[in-house]
This record gives sequence, C-alpha cells and structure tokens, in this order.
Amino acid sequence: MMTVVIGGSKCGKSGYAEKILDSFDGKKLYIATMIPYGEEAQKAIKRHRKMRRNKGFETVEKYTDLDEICLPENYAVLLECMGNLLANEMFKNEEITDPTEKIIKGIESLKTQAQHLVIVTNNVACDGIDYERETMDYIRIMGDINRRMSELADNVIECVYGIPLAVKGMLL
Amino acid sequence: MIMITGGAYQGKKDFVKAHYNCEILNGDNCDFESVFTAKCVSNYHQLVKRLIENGDDVASYTERLCRDNSNLIVIINEIGCGIVPLEKSDRLWREQVGLAGSLIAKNSDTVVRLICGIPAVIKGEL
Repeated sequence: MMTVVIGGSKCGKSGYAEKILDSFDGKKLYIATMIPYGEEAQKAIKRHRKMRRNKGFETVEKYTDLDEICLPENYAVLLECMGNLLANEMFKNEEITDPTEKIIKGIESLKTQAQHLVIVTNNVACDGIDYERETMDYIRIMGDINRRMSELADNVIECVYGIPLAVKGMLL
Repeated sequence: MIMITGGAYQGKKDFVKAHYNCEILNGDNCDFESVFTAKCVSNYHQLVKRLIENGDDVASYTERLCRDNSNLIVIINEIGCGIVPLEKSDRLWREQVGLAGSLIAKNSDTVVRLICGIPAVIKGEL
C-alpha cells in the first residue's frame, strides 16, 4: 500500500500522515529528509520530533539517494518530505540536474519493500509568482514527481487547513 | 463557527452574502476587538499579519475567538501552497496563517472551499 499526503505550509499534513500509521502493528521507520541547517530547520525538526514522540517510530536521516535504503521485513515507512529531498538532490552539485527518475526509482524500491509507504509532499505551485529559472525548475520537477508518485499510490490525500480530502483512493 | 476558504478572488465574500446575508468586517483594517462581536470577518490571513506586526500571539487570539465568538463566519485565503518565501517575516506569516486556519477549521462545524465561485463543503454541512 502506498499513500501520498500533499498540502501547503502548516496544513496538518504531517499529523495526518502519522495518524495513518497509528493502527499499523509492525515496525515503523521515519525517513527524515531535512538537512538540519540553520535555526529555523532546527526548530522545525524539534517540532516534528515532539509530534512523533511515543508513536513508535525509528528515525533515519536520509537527505539524498532513497534507492540505497534497504528495509527489513514487516516495516511501514513514513517519508517526510519530498520537497526537501528534491531540493537536496537538485542543488547538491553546482550544475543542476533533474533527479526525477532517480527519485522515482527510490520510491518504487521503498514501495516494494514496505508494508505501507506514506510520503508527505508539498504543493508549491499555487502562489502564481514568477521566480528565477532555478526556482521555476524546482516547481516544475516537484509537479512532475507529485504526478508520478500519485500514479504509483493507492491513495492521494490533500490537506486543507487540517482537513484531509481524498484526491485518489480513500481516507485512511 | 463557519469557515470559508479558497484562493484569492474565488467568490468567498459573494458566497457569504448569498448564503448568510450578513455584514462582513474587513480583517485587513478592523479593530482587533471588534471581531469578537462580528457576524463575519474577511481577510483573516491579513488580520494574522497585523496581529504579528502588533506583537500579538496569533494562536491565543484565535483560540479566544473560537471560544468567545463561536458563531463567527471566518473568511480566510489559502496562501500556503507556494515556494517558501525568502523573507523571514513572510515565512512566519505563512506558517502562522496555516496554524490559525487549522485551529479555525477544527473549531468549525462547517468548512467551505471555493474555486471559480463554486463551493465545495469539505467539513460538516451547509
């Protein structure tokens, strides 16, 4: 089973994604993709750790190269979030490359290994602002990845101010 | 409490006028305390910006509002679905709008989201 949770800033997508795995009785792995750089990132990480406390997650930090993850049996995975992973992959070298295929390969590998793969991703495409080229590339590739992931997923859930809406499949 | 959301210029105020026929207080320039006796407040996302600029705690103001004016109709834009802003104050505002909006949605019996003037009830019923 695979579920994608999408939304904007502070829309309750993490809380909902965690809740999906509340009833899972095997082991749960949280894949954190945010590089703990700067005060705001530290704060965000702290807030998320607090949210996950006592929910039975093991945490692994993986900023790039999802396809390297090898999962033991009977695990559910919560990956948070695709927005950071994409930025990490795209901007890690001086020359920007399109990591879509590499990321999709990593997701397919996780989907095969995990009992339930839940991915939190971001809708970054609706502010209508024209940014410089690199940011526009990021918005476009984010959209490509979200569409590809949604094809692979059983459920796609959009969060609006904390309210989950089923875009594909059903609410869990 | 009733919450009306959606992007800018999607017909949120017209929807309120048509369905509830009440006066709408403009959150962009109203007195902070007047919201506690209003029937409807618009531009709550801008009200959040003014609260931050005024040094007020957005969460506790919003909690007090949900408690003390529980029949209020709140109109708030969806502003979170974009690139993380460069300016720190814009990032803070965006996050505070998300958190305040989630609080209002949680306390609302009905939440309506509009696009192209068309309402979708995403919580409760009209």
